[in-house]
Amino acid sequence: HRAPNMSHQDKNNRGQQDKEKPKKENILDLNQYIGKRVYAKFNGGREVVGVLRGYDTLVNLVLDECLEYLRDSTTFKVTNATRKLGLVVCKGSAVMCVYPADGTEEIDNPFMDAEGQ
Amino acid sequence: TQCNMSTTTELDAQLDQILPLELIDKCIGQRLWLIMKGDKEIVGTLLGFDDYVNMVLEDVTEFETAADGSLTQTKLDQILLNGNNICLLVPGGEGPLTVETNVA
Repeated sequence: HRAPNMSHQDKNNRGQQDKEKPKKENILDLNQYIGKRVYAKFNGGREVVGVLRGYDTLVNLVLDECLEYLRDSTTFKVTNATRKLGLVVCKGSAVMCVYPADGTEEIDNPFMDAEGQ
Repeated sequence: TQCNMSTTTELDAQLDQILPLELIDKCIGQRLWLIMKGDKEIVGTLLGFDDYVNMVLEDVTEFETAADGSLTQTKLDQILLNGNNICLLVPGGEGPLTVETNVA
């Protein structure tokens, strides 16, 4: 069955219009964090902190003085223990989030009531 | 004005940065420590890589950390590593045995 109201020519024109669309832009400009300490969380649960030295459009990152936060081997919860990695490349396909080290602080558990039960 | 100052430093930041794939390229011929998304790590000499960061490595030691914390090592000659599961790359890194660990 042919798609209704869709001639072969129409499909071609739409294809060309799609090519004229602007290239996909990053919603987070990592340029502002270059030289600053950032946290990066990865798919799979790893967390690191380091000084952002570079990045690319795929969100591959270069972190300097990088520390990886170690996880408890049973609960897999992140601890304050770290291991020193130095200058690393973070693979963009694994990067889940990037956030500045300055803008975060630990707060008391806001869900205390729910956990108390 | 403040706006002008931030523009200049933005451009400077872009010029001084290290591109990730360039850093990996500089590492060709040297030891590289790869940390996967899961509990596997690989140390080897980087022979090359492609756009997807699939890698060819030689003199490879594969480290696997089990649930109980035990570490298994396997030695391999030359491998093609699928870049799908690579999380971190440490140029010149020696692996999980010699790494400096700190308990805060």
